[in-house]
Amino acid sequence: MKVLVLNNMAPFVRGGAEELADTLTAKLNVTKGVRAELVRVPFTWDPPEKILDSILSCLAMQIDNVDRVIALKFPAYLIHHPHKTLWLLHQYRQAYDLRGTNLTNLIEDKCSDDVRNAIVSSDNACFVSCRRLFVNSRITQARLSQFNGFSSEILLPPVTSQDDFQNTGYGDYIFAGGRINLMKRQHLLVEAMAHAPSGCKLIIAGPPESEDDGARLKQLIADLGLHDRVMLDLGFIPRERLAFYVNGALACAYLPVDEDSVGYVTMESFYASKAVICCSDSGGILDLVSHGQTGLVVEPDAESVSMALTLMICNPADAKRMGENARDAIEQISPDWSNTIDRLLA
Amino acid sequence: MKVAICSTIVPFVDGGGRFIVKWLAATLRTRGHQVEEIYLPFSDDPNTLVQQMMGLRLLEIGKSADRLIALRPPSYVLPHENKVLWFIHHIRVFYDLWEHPYRPWPDNVALRSVRAALMAADNATISESRKVFTNSNVVGNRLRKFNGIESQTLYPPLFEPERFGFQSLGDEILYVCRAEHHKRQHLAVEAMKHVRTPVKLRLCGAASSEQYPDELRKIVRENGLESKVTTNLCWITEEEKAAAFAHCLAALYIPLDEDSYGYPSLEASHSRKAVITTHDSGGVLELIEHENNGLVCEPTPEALAECFDRLYENRNLAREMGRRAEERVRELNITWDHVVEQLLS
Repeated sequence: MKVLVLNNMAPFVRGGAEELADTLTAKLNVTKGVRAELVRVPFTWDPPEKILDSILSCLAMQIDNVDRVIALKFPAYLIHHPHKTLWLLHQYRQAYDLRGTNLTNLIEDKCSDDVRNAIVSSDNACFVSCRRLFVNSRITQARLSQFNGFSSEILLPPVTSQDDFQNTGYGDYIFAGGRINLMKRQHLLVEAMAHAPSGCKLIIAGPPESEDDGARLKQLIADLGLHDRVMLDLGFIPRERLAFYVNGALACAYLPVDEDSVGYVTMESFYASKAVICCSDSGGILDLVSHGQTGLVVEPDAESVSMALTLMICNPADAKRMGENARDAIEQISPDWSNTIDRLLA
Repeated sequence: MKVAICSTIVPFVDGGGRFIVKWLAATLRTRGHQVEEIYLPFSDDPNTLVQQMMGLRLLEIGKSADRLIALRPPSYVLPHENKVLWFIHHIRVFYDLWEHPYRPWPDNVALRSVRAALMAADNATISESRKVFTNSNVVGNRLRKFNGIESQTLYPPLFEPERFGFQSLGDEILYVCRAEHHKRQHLAVEAMKHVRTPVKLRLCGAASSEQYPDELRKIVRENGLESKVTTNLCWITEEEKAAAFAHCLAALYIPLDEDSYGYPSLEASHSRKAVITTHDSGGVLELIEHENNGLVCEPTPEALAECFDRLYENRNLAREMGRRAEERVRELNITWDHVVEQLLS
């Protein structure tokens, strides 16, 4: 069976979805009777009307010589194929749940309305045509049902290389990994650092989604005079280096706005026996992090986050205890690849 | 520099068009560039060809890349202000093969319109590039003839050519290539009926179906050539291939009207082996010169047999031509350094 995995791409930017697509393809390729290949379609959303081009582009493509398609993200999942399985990581959220927030590029005007309508109607047409609909989390499932009226099955993505994440001790820094943008709120962590005790250190590592995202963070650190306590490692982070940061941290922090899934960053931290600081509005993360047990869940403001940082720094024994709980928690729910692939190909 | 390399693919079909992208990407990375490889599915279905091209045109790499290098058609329709083409072939059924008797589609109004639309789109999107390179003079000439576009030839090197080298001068003429009718392995086998010396022939390479390999084995059997011809018609590893070249007497490469010199002739040259080819082999003649680094003959079994015998009887000539084959590669500057310099200039 020839299986094509479809994902979109922002050139030179890699995150959890890219990692998942690569690993899924690799795991499919070692499945008996299966050959797999990954196609990544460039996606541009700036200016918003370019989204229309992207939709049209995918609808105009033709895939030959493929028995099955497993599609992950908008707009790549729009490409036609008679046997398409969707494993939805997230929709184009700016057109759905982020509507009306300051996190969407689709404002309330005629042009944005047109773009939004095009996204919703092409999504609906695609979802109808899929053989099966899987989603990566409860949150994605709820949104798909609420906004598009489709029911789906939850299929939790396994961590891509969990063996890399093994505790090497509890150091003196909080680590924040993952893509860097406004929605992941690394800026909130930096602001919180201004209120945290001086012994507290923070390492932020990951690829900024745009040059602005990187520059904004640097500027903020300079403005707050935090350069000796906040270390930035911007750009693509090789797996070994990422694991090095996670494995030696006192705890990890991950503060996305209403995240779709439990998040790789969270799962990796849990595998490395690290407690995770997140926010009460962090969405899918809350499926995993429980306050006081496997991490700290705080309000999304600088003072509250700084309280969490302070708690960790001042009570390393607590950080360690929660980290050990985290490891137990992830081992209980951890999905494995062979079951995942069985379900995708069923 | 941030370089996006874009090419089209048919999923699960490998070929020269895909390897050149991977090799170029690997080469640029070792030289410290950031590279994104973009492979876009493209079907040669004439009914959707124009629509698919429109789809590709609407994609955007944008400013995230300092340069876009486009290869297999029609990946070059992607817009980019710093687009460079390494043009490796047209969508040939609508170009030089349109007049060919084996054209798979009828010459009707609908397909003539597709052809016209394709040519117009090609003209416009190739011309907007910063530079146009081709992989051979043959392809460059076609680009001039059909599109009126001037280009520079930029020969594709082998990946890690140091894997190839001379070890010994054996008794075998070696033909490493996919076993397909237009590669004409049958001429080589037929030639073995006419040789006067104990020269041997080895065929290596996989086929897309078993039909042609069966045909070849049948010629061997019916002429009792089993002791002279080895048919190794399956996929061989890169190591096996390098070893075969290292120990052969000379190499053979006799495709019909090939676009480029073909990797087998380059692999032979890096292994310091002479290459026997034919007058109608197209781009191969850009690399192989008669009596210099090989022999160029008529595409007949008799003429080929004569070349085989000649190199078998005159091993010094075979050795000397092999030496000059390596020199010829240097002369044409077929190196990754040159490729990188040109594509990024």
